[in-house]
Amino acid sequence: MKKFEYKVPGGKLLRAKVEAEDGKIRFLQLTGDFFMEPETDLEELEVRLIGSRAEPALIEVAVKGFFAGKKTMIAGAAPADFAYVINQALKA
Amino acid sequence: MAVDEAITKARGEGRVPDTLRFYMWKPSAVTLGYFLSVEDEVNLEALKGFGFCLNRRISGGGAVLNSEKGEITYSVILKEDDPRVSTDPVESYHLLCQGIVEALDVLGVKAEFKPINDIIVAGKKISGNAQIRRYGAVLHHGTLLVDFDAREMFGVLKISKEKLSDKMIQQAEDRVTTIRRLLGRQISFPEVRDALEEGYRKALDAELIEGELTPYEEELVKQFRTRYASREWIYRR
Repeated sequence: MKKFEYKVPGGKLLRAKVEAEDGKIRFLQLTGDFFMEPETDLEELEVRLIGSRAEPALIEVAVKGFFAGKKTMIAGAAPADFAYVINQALKA
Repeated sequence: MAVDEAITKARGEGRVPDTLRFYMWKPSAVTLGYFLSVEDEVNLEALKGFGFCLNRRISGGGAVLNSEKGEITYSVILKEDDPRVSTDPVESYHLLCQGIVEALDVLGVKAEFKPINDIIVAGKKISGNAQIRRYGAVLHHGTLLVDFDAREMFGVLKISKEKLSDKMIQQAEDRVTTIRRLLGRQISFPEVRDALEEGYRKALDAELIEGELTPYEEELVKQFRTRYASREWIYRR
């Protein structure tokens, strides 16, 4: 399990725990003290990314695309921060 | 937590008026924001040693030690479409934190709102807040530090991976402050509660009428309590 922790400047703390196998994400958990509504969007994002290729550019597109299609309220972090923390965890 | 959610649901359904609630915890408990993981935030051995409980909120935000010795918890529940409440999270926090800023002013303490969800006095945190919109209502709840025991707070909350040392307590202690410390005197919980009432009366331009949970809310509490007490809920992350 790889982990990465990131404090968004002026925002909140994000953590990613990730496991990749054969170049694909097989486990992902995002945690932190940010605010998100509806809260189910975070779980949905995690599920969406399972099986994705563990490549930074693709992860970034997938995360941004996920939120672009939703009316998620996030306080203390932006979609790009979630992509960043996942990619950093993959590199850890 | 079940009571907060019950009032929120009842308020959203229009069955109860806007509500301001004050409560304390016995035994003391660590309350986790919805998106936090237990293993990252809580020293379970210390928690057990102190005899404290563990809870998870429906709202996001940080981990809080709701200490029976030095903390007041409050909730404000309004309709989601209340014209006073902005849809912008920071503005909405600002408005609903203002009651605490006003309450501290009543006590002679100059505090300020620090976005996103904190209230600080001279750079040190005295109150943390969380909001969630659910059931057509907005629930704003938070904690106000009246006094605190650094060994308890930093024993159960994992502020850092470093072992609990006196040096670490000193550093973490520097980041927070309490009403007792600022006033340099003992202050009773009823005095703080009265100030909070006055603060919210001013901040929301509201008339406060003392009340109790309705039978409908009591029924919801019973329903929700099962979920909040479940291991599945508390350890979901």
